[in-house]
Amino acid sequence: MIQVENLRKSYILNKKQQKEFNTQAKEAIAVDGISFSCKPGRIFSLLGPNGAGKTTTLRMISTIIRPTSGKIEVAGIDAAVQPNEVRKKIGFLTGSTGLYERLTPDEVLKYFADLNDVNPADFEQRKQHYYDLLDMHDFAKKRIGQLSTGMKQKVSITRTMIHDPEVVVFDEPTSGLDVITAENIIKLIRDCKSQGKTVIFSSHIMSEVDLLCDDLAIINKGKLLFRDTMEQFRANMKTSSLTEEFIRIVNHNSPINI
Amino acid sequence: MKKIIIIAKKEFLDMFRDKRTLMRMILIPLLAFPLIMYLITTLQLAQSKKEAEKTLEIGYYLNGQSEKYIEKMDTAANYTFTLYSDSVQMQKDVKSDSINLAILFSANFDSNYQSGKQAAYSLYYRQADNEEFDRFQKLLDLRDEDLVQERLKSQNLPVNYAQPVQRNLHNQSEVKEVIGKYAGGILPYIFLAFCFMGCMLPAIDLFAGEKERGTIETLLASPVNRVHLLVGKMIVVAAFGLISASVVLIGLFVSLNFMADGNGLMVEVNKILSPQLIITLYLLLIPVAIFFAGIMIPVSVYARSFKEAQSILTPLNMAVILPAMIGFLPGFELDYVTAFIPIVNIVLATKAMIAGTAPLIPLIITFTSLILLSAVAVFISFKQFGKETNILR
Repeated sequence: MIQVENLRKSYILNKKQQKEFNTQAKEAIAVDGISFSCKPGRIFSLLGPNGAGKTTTLRMISTIIRPTSGKIEVAGIDAAVQPNEVRKKIGFLTGSTGLYERLTPDEVLKYFADLNDVNPADFEQRKQHYYDLLDMHDFAKKRIGQLSTGMKQKVSITRTMIHDPEVVVFDEPTSGLDVITAENIIKLIRDCKSQGKTVIFSSHIMSEVDLLCDDLAIINKGKLLFRDTMEQFRANMKTSSLTEEFIRIVNHNSPINI
Repeated sequence: MKKIIIIAKKEFLDMFRDKRTLMRMILIPLLAFPLIMYLITTLQLAQSKKEAEKTLEIGYYLNGQSEKYIEKMDTAANYTFTLYSDSVQMQKDVKSDSINLAILFSANFDSNYQSGKQAAYSLYYRQADNEEFDRFQKLLDLRDEDLVQERLKSQNLPVNYAQPVQRNLHNQSEVKEVIGKYAGGILPYIFLAFCFMGCMLPAIDLFAGEKERGTIETLLASPVNRVHLLVGKMIVVAAFGLISASVVLIGLFVSLNFMADGNGLMVEVNKILSPQLIITLYLLLIPVAIFFAGIMIPVSVYARSFKEAQSILTPLNMAVILPAMIGFLPGFELDYVTAFIPIVNIVLATKAMIAGTAPLIPLIITFTSLILLSAVAVFISFKQFGKETNILR
């Protein structure tokens, strides 16, 4: 379960940044008072154009950055009060995630398992499970720098799931991947749902959202424009396609259904 | 503590797998001195052998005097003496390097000598070829000594008549003091320079590199306290500084052993490099390595990329190397003032420790100030690492 209430993130702008962004404003608001909740066993999609505030929101949920105001609860734990406990519950994967190129998949997985206090027996069992599932045995001991993008993505997936997180956060997980490699991610998201995990993922690709999500929120310029189930989104569409509807809501730029 | 060890272990493994790191921090420091010293000694030996075997062409213009002065030197090995009839041409030949040196006798050389006065000649030489000048000067000194003895004999005077006082020298300082004074600055200089270089690559790789590779977010989303994350990485940065400095010390020791080859120098060097000195040196160097890590990490945390961090940190190298050079200058000693100046204090303290003349209180001030400085640097690192705008820049 993820509970987000009136979440806000702003950055103080220095003179150089004011000049760079061509503004007189003393602060830039990345996320402006958004609220939503993601339920276990359902896939929640955070949709928005580039710069909408999706990554900032997911980084706050993952406790990588702190909100300026508002409240986040992950699996019933207050992220501001016990960030380390929240991190134990979360699996975090982004499309731009890198891996340690000089280590092997075995070593990377062991490192993150140790950081997450996974006991050795659970680690071995989960590692074998994903090695079988994703056909990773052949390259488990090769340096990551020598692996293909698809192989690296499989390592990233296993790394995300090695501590069996209750909540999984995906930030544009398929960005830059070919369809075959992206398919592994789509499969992982579905598996997480079937295992009763809470899944939140950000995207700007409507076809992906259509394929996966149960609940949906659309944000633009840090503000929440739409929040409901995918079913409701489809039912209330005023255009002929999902992409057109998404563009219409973003261009309208005022709350429609929250 | 467990998480710090996990992080440090992983970073060590990662860094040791990096060929660039191994090359710059271990291989180069290890081989630098043996190679430099081997090359220098081999070249020097070859050069001096070549110089000694080279035949020097000496021109002379008698100016109406006898050849007696020259005749006695004519038999010396590797010399050719050529008589000139034109003194101007002779000077030109020296200038154009056609001959190496030339002697122009004064018009009253013989008469002055024979009457017991001081006889004179002019010696033409090229300062640019001072080895030739020095070599010939030795031959001339021997010739002059002959003339002195000849005069003393003719006057029935004892051989040491012209040396009325004999000076017997008795050195009261120990060899290690001499080495401490003249060479003591080199050791801390090398230590600091290589410690700095050793810290630099991991400092960049473990922070700016992690940002550039896109691994920092995953790490920050893991259940690790940021202080533990910073400390784990900082241990690796400081340790690589110490490894690099230690490796260069081993290289230096090996090359000295090779060079000394039974001439007694190594006995003195071994005496100087006592376990006590090495332990004290490391006690001073550990806070310095932490200090280096502490000033490099904020830069690396701030930088967007490996390249940006490197471009900021490389000039910083000068800020360490220049004060470390104070150790080479005479007149600077560890006292109540210099003990407070970072880098300078460690150089002077090491120099004094080698010479065995380190004053206790300035030494304690040095150590304490280095610890305080490293604590400040760690604090600054922590502040910078905690800034979201830096780590996700």
